[in-house]
Amino acid sequence: MHALEVKNLTKTFDGLTAVDNVSFNVPEGSIFGLIGRNGAGKTTTIRMMMNIYLPDSGEVILRGTKIGQEFKNKVGYLPEERGLYKKMKVLETLLYFAELKGKKGKEIQKKAEEYLERFELGDRKQSKIEDLSKGNQQKVQFITTILHDPEFVILDEPFSGLDPINTNLLQEIVLEKKQEGKVIILSTHLMDFAERMCDHIAMIDHGKIILDGELNEIKARYGQRNVSLTYEGNISFLNNNPMIEKIENFGNTTGIRVKSADQTQELLKLIVEHGVRVKKFDANDISLYQIFLELAGSEHNGKMGRQHV
Amino acid sequence: MFSSRTIAVMKRELREKLLSKTFIIMTLLIPVFMFGILGIQTFVMSYEGDQNTNLTVIAESARITKKLQDEFSKRKFVQNGYYKITYATMDRDEFSGYLQSHRKDLLNETLTGIVYVPKNALTNKEVEYYSKNPNNNVVFKKIESIIDHALVDIYFQNKFLSNDDIKFLSKHVDFNSYRISLEKAIEKEGYGNLVVSFLLTFLLYFSLIFLGTMMMRSVVAEKTNRIVEVLLSSVNSKELMTGKIIGTGITGLVQMAIWMLPVVVVISTNWFALPKDFTLSIQLGYVFYFLLNFFIGLITFLGLFAMVGAIFDNEQDAQSGLWPVMLLVMIPFFIAISLPTNPASPIGKIASFIPFASLLVMPARMSIVEVPAMEVVLAFLINLATMILSFSLAGKIYRVGILRTGKKPKWAEIVQWIRYKY
Repeated sequence: MHALEVKNLTKTFDGLTAVDNVSFNVPEGSIFGLIGRNGAGKTTTIRMMMNIYLPDSGEVILRGTKIGQEFKNKVGYLPEERGLYKKMKVLETLLYFAELKGKKGKEIQKKAEEYLERFELGDRKQSKIEDLSKGNQQKVQFITTILHDPEFVILDEPFSGLDPINTNLLQEIVLEKKQEGKVIILSTHLMDFAERMCDHIAMIDHGKIILDGELNEIKARYGQRNVSLTYEGNISFLNNNPMIEKIENFGNTTGIRVKSADQTQELLKLIVEHGVRVKKFDANDISLYQIFLELAGSEHNGKMGRQHV
Repeated sequence: MFSSRTIAVMKRELREKLLSKTFIIMTLLIPVFMFGILGIQTFVMSYEGDQNTNLTVIAESARITKKLQDEFSKRKFVQNGYYKITYATMDRDEFSGYLQSHRKDLLNETLTGIVYVPKNALTNKEVEYYSKNPNNNVVFKKIESIIDHALVDIYFQNKFLSNDDIKFLSKHVDFNSYRISLEKAIEKEGYGNLVVSFLLTFLLYFSLIFLGTMMMRSVVAEKTNRIVEVLLSSVNSKELMTGKIIGTGITGLVQMAIWMLPVVVVISTNWFALPKDFTLSIQLGYVFYFLLNFFIGLITFLGLFAMVGAIFDNEQDAQSGLWPVMLLVMIPFFIAISLPTNPASPIGKIASFIPFASLLVMPARMSIVEVPAMEVVLAFLINLATMILSFSLAGKIYRVGILRTGKKPKWAEIVQWIRYKY
């Protein structure tokens, strides 16, 4: 069962097609990643899903019916461009945004106070937003996103500008919401975050979906010839080996692609024989980033047809 | 357009504006400021600084001296001691000596001035005034007519004219203005309505600009603070704009109603002893009309100011892009304040039916001349239609504008926004 079906969305601004016939499905109870470079069309797609923009064509279906105000009430949205009223007080802010979602009264206030306690802001509820540190303002912003207990949480580039503590906090919330059976849609250009958190992804480039499906399946399909290696020593001897197609250094790990899937065992043997200390050797593993590079290429080349897994 | 969300937005605007210090201070200060200006003006006009005037009035003939003494002593400013006047009779030579000996007194101002009325003043009405400040209008204004009156009296005394003839001769023309209107009897007209007309026009203009600018700033701030996208994930742009405008509109209405309270009190009670000339012939109904018209005007212009705020993403650009809206307020304002000089001018009449202009000109016109009920209704309908049309137009541009940042848009692009499907 799909919670949301995005069907053939297209949006043009001043003759420029920002989103071009985009379709994908968001399954129930999943963390769904919308992945692509900056300017690929992620935010525009999300704005159309939120009914902030009307699409030129196409539609978004929520459990069988077209989205409208009802969907807005069920969504907690953390836009990439975040902001709060600087002169408003913390608790007042939380209650205002909850009221806009149709939730008010004692219960929501109690819940707001609980969240503030949990985020160590319990003593700041009467402070003005402008008197809070940037990190604390972000915490307040998260709370406004989830206070009304939304069925859908949409996070647009949620990790941009976050310090590590708030990043962990946000991840914690996302996983907690998933356990509660909510649908989380996460748009990001940070592939490793998406890889760690998402069950399903849709990859968007130049306004078009270039890949979508379940993350494990995608990785399995692209990963058969790929090895992710963590090691100590020198592996430069591999550079001219005929069975190697490509070696890429990703910092801590190195991605190696062999020319055919049955060569991975031979590769391991070769590395061990050369006295390299292997810490991790993961055949059948490929990073999302590698897949992305393979499909989208660098900025100017490689617009490929759609891949569905 | 109206939903629980609109009401939530409206309530927030009210909380932020109605309960803000700026609002409370402004609301109280404006009337204090206005009445203060009126008060200072009245005070300056009435205080002429001539309380300790010492005059010596000298005539060449005893008959003139006697007559002047009679006339002066009838006057209040002499009776209450503001003017101390000594009288004497001297011929030209004696007077020259007297002038020499009192030079010192004149220079150190223990003596304000010496008036010398020679005999031939009875033929040419020429009188001499000696003083350190010989062009003192305050003194002249007070003594001129008295001396004139005395001379005329003496001149005609032996010419077989009756006292009534003399009284007529020495009286100036005095204008009394009467207001002609359909419903009421002919009433003596004071300058009260002119003052009220000017005051109300000013309040209307000031309030529209002040609240409008506030609205524009708040829209720009929501754009620059990036709140708008968070808001739009809950409400649609029309609900947001409507809530903001109604909230600010109510704030403005409350403020204006507070400002109108003194007017209501003055016209419905007799607690205040207004100067006799300051008759006010406006009625409570007019005050209600004024407030209603103001509210419609406020909604109309707040929509336009919000639209301008939505087009630009910083205050400087927004201020400089404001001129078309400012013209819509300022031109009618100038027409309205020039109305008292010629209330029946066709420009005023036409302007009171032109969209936008009507909002400022019609109330001003109504406070000065009698406007037929039909015309008032027509203007009201025009204003209502203007409000609805401009609000929906502003809404369309607002909807597109609030999510735009970066490059300053060109006017041609903005016009295209109206047709955008968003």
